[in-house]
Amino acid sequence: MHELAILILAFCRWCNDSFFGHTIRDSAWLFPFVEIFHLLALGLLGGTVVLVNLSLLGIRFGNASTAELARELRPWMLGSIGVMLLSGFLLFSTEAVKMYGNWAFQLKMTFLLLAVLFTLTIHRKVIDSQRTAVGLQRAAAVISLLLWLGVGLGGRALGYVTTAASPLIGQ
Amino acid sequence: MILDSALVWLHDTSFGTMIRESVWAEPIIETIHVLTLGVFLGFVILLDLRLLDLALRRTPVSTVFRQLNPWLFGSFGIMIVTGVSLFAGDPVLFYGTIFFKLKMLMLLAAALNVVVFSVTSGRTMMQWDLLPVTPRGAKLTGIVSLVLWIAVVACGRGIAYVLPPP
Repeated sequence: MHELAILILAFCRWCNDSFFGHTIRDSAWLFPFVEIFHLLALGLLGGTVVLVNLSLLGIRFGNASTAELARELRPWMLGSIGVMLLSGFLLFSTEAVKMYGNWAFQLKMTFLLLAVLFTLTIHRKVIDSQRTAVGLQRAAAVISLLLWLGVGLGGRALGYVTTAASPLIGQ
Repeated sequence: MILDSALVWLHDTSFGTMIRESVWAEPIIETIHVLTLGVFLGFVILLDLRLLDLALRRTPVSTVFRQLNPWLFGSFGIMIVTGVSLFAGDPVLFYGTIFFKLKMLMLLAAALNVVVFSVTSGRTMMQWDLLPVTPRGAKLTGIVSLVLWIAVVACGRGIAYVLPPP
């Protein structure tokens, strides 16, 4: 476990010292500029996730089945996840070493990993299968909504948490 | 000026003072404001993409409107209430930023865009609702709406960026 922590910290150092980390950190307007993309993609991702999960919860979208709705929205959902990951990575790289020891960031990444894994596996299976029990569909919708909410709350908390230095980083 | 004294009055209300002085009010309200984007902005974008024939193409436009409208109104209500609350915390400071004034102008323009749509393409929606492509007017509404809401988000980000941290 200790080796993994050192590896992650090395990665954070590399991001921190990378040319995009430097460029965004040294620019007065690049950080908020990237943030705008992060927020716009948050909107679209939230919209697609909420709509699909409402359908799973029984609030159907017109005559479309949940599977049809999800299929139509999938490129927009995956696209917005892509924009969020890229813009998020760029924002992260401006203070990657600080983020390493930030509990809000760790919480957000944990939720993100769980949300993405759940979306690509169980959630997708439940949506595409024609014969999932109603209770299972609702459970999948609630879990998906809670996981993505966790990512969002973790992101908000990031802005308010001041980092205590980790023993690995030193002073 | 009346506006100046109104801003000062709002600043001095017990509500404005509570927002400004409470440790938790601002972060909680801002979190709700930002995360509600996930419904409001998301549904606005999906509606615009439908008007542009880029998403949800198999669902008639009127159905998309009917399905999304209650959520759009509900989430817009939350955006307004949380937005006004944040503003009440320091109205003079907010109003002093160029981004706040721009954001209000963009919001007004977005509302105007909805009105224009409802008296033009929106009025004849039943005639083109089931056609494979939306008319040019509807596409124009979609583009204008997308541009305006992107500008609203950008200005909102701008406000937070030029204000001193709490």
